[in-house]
Amino acid sequence: MQVTSMNFTVESWNQQTVVVHVGKALDFRNASDFKAACQEQVRAGVRNFVLDFSETGILDSTGLGSIFSLYRQVSPLDGQVVFAAVSRPVQVVVQLTRTYKVFRQFPSLDAAREAVK
Amino acid sequence: MAQHSILVVEDEHTLRRLLEYRLSKLYRVRTAANGEEALERVKEELPDLVVSDIMMPRMDGFALQAELQKQRETRAIPFIFLTAKADESSRLKGRRTGVDDYITKPFDIDALLTRIERLLERTALFQTQLDARIGQDFSKKLMPKALPTVEGYSSHFFNNPKEHGGGDLFDWTEPEPGTYYITIGDVMGKGLQAKFYAFSFLGYVRSTLHGMLRETRSPALLMQRVNQVLMDDPTMEETFASLLLVRWEPAKNELTYANAGHCRPLIVSPSKAEVVPYSDIILGLDPMAEFTDTTLQLSPECAFVTYTDGLLEQEMEGGAQLGEGGLMDLIPGVYREAQPIDRMLEQILAKSTLPEFADDILVFWLERQALRERQAPRWFSPFSDQADRKV
Repeated sequence: MQVTSMNFTVESWNQQTVVVHVGKALDFRNASDFKAACQEQVRAGVRNFVLDFSETGILDSTGLGSIFSLYRQVSPLDGQVVFAAVSRPVQVVVQLTRTYKVFRQFPSLDAAREAVK
Repeated sequence: MAQHSILVVEDEHTLRRLLEYRLSKLYRVRTAANGEEALERVKEELPDLVVSDIMMPRMDGFALQAELQKQRETRAIPFIFLTAKADESSRLKGRRTGVDDYITKPFDIDALLTRIERLLERTALFQTQLDARIGQDFSKKLMPKALPTVEGYSSHFFNNPKEHGGGDLFDWTEPEPGTYYITIGDVMGKGLQAKFYAFSFLGYVRSTLHGMLRETRSPALLMQRVNQVLMDDPTMEETFASLLLVRWEPAKNELTYANAGHCRPLIVSPSKAEVVPYSDIILGLDPMAEFTDTTLQLSPECAFVTYTDGLLEQEMEGGAQLGEGGLMDLIPGVYREAQPIDRMLEQILAKSTLPEFADDILVFWLERQALRERQAPRWFSPFSDQADRKV
């Protein structure tokens, strides 16, 4: 099975907050692009990242690593990284690594928007 | 693979925009209007290739190239000069300072694209060969040369590091006679970088172990220390790792482990497989993270099986990954095999959509053998339990 869409999109909610629609996969193939895109946002002043995993079928350890880098970058700046609409495959990885202790999860983007703003 | 990034340095606005427009169809493009700005861009992120004008205000192309030559990490970036000066003198000057290529204005954009592609290919080829050599070297250092040999136990190990695989690691040590510490982990990321970090990380684990064993025998406390060391070291800032640290005392048939977000080990017997459930957060995220020890007894004819995530992520018929459940269904069936790991991997591949494993595979199988007494014909032995009872 080939994953055709490797894309993620960044949507701005306000000056400090963006939502990243992660798309079908975040793995070794696009993790460095993801990292670069997030770094650009941080440079532009964004502190809060809502990651939308509603469509995500693949999250491997390289992809997860890029999310961790983002977390370590924004947490000293009082920023946060939260997960929204976490799909089953992503949930498995989050459970395995016990990272739910660090990343707050919300059932939907709306719920995340309420909490983060 | 991520798109190549190209830095375009050109003072003339129109040409700069044109180049940005044409090149951005194929590459990630950043621009600068002179050498000084270009150095700023390079500082932000190293480009894979620089296309630069020569005549520019503030800092010209030659000065820029000379600056890049001074730094170790920028010295090898391929460089293409664009210039209106078709005269021989600047051409020669360019050659002397080690320019990789040279295009004279007015130029054909397709010719420029061809040269960019050729230079990138050459660099990539060189890099791949270098990576493969260093990667193999690291992979060897991340794996044990031998396994512990203990009466009443047998152990098996399988590892198949890929050139572009990740940072799987495995190590064991016997710091005092009869007590073993087993380390299995996965440093996040892919390729040479992951292997390099895994190598540094394993160094931390080893030194923490040896340094702290006088104070504590607790895998949880050792884990806490490794996490702190990892978080305090700025060069390891981008390093995240899952790690399982096990203290094994064969005389007591006891295993005590702490698990930092690593794949959960299994206890396997010929009839069933069970998950060893407890684990804590992965290393490198939370400086205050605490870990917990869990102790378990290994019964005769049971194996403690640990592995890294490449195994579970293998895609199976129907499109789903193997997963913990899939592994548990299959593993008791290979228990009595002489080479249980090999048989297990064969069976997984037989039901996979792929002919081989997509990622690195690492499995360690530690088995407590059946009790010897039961295999012996006891009724002939005057010292056996039964004989005692008869008397």
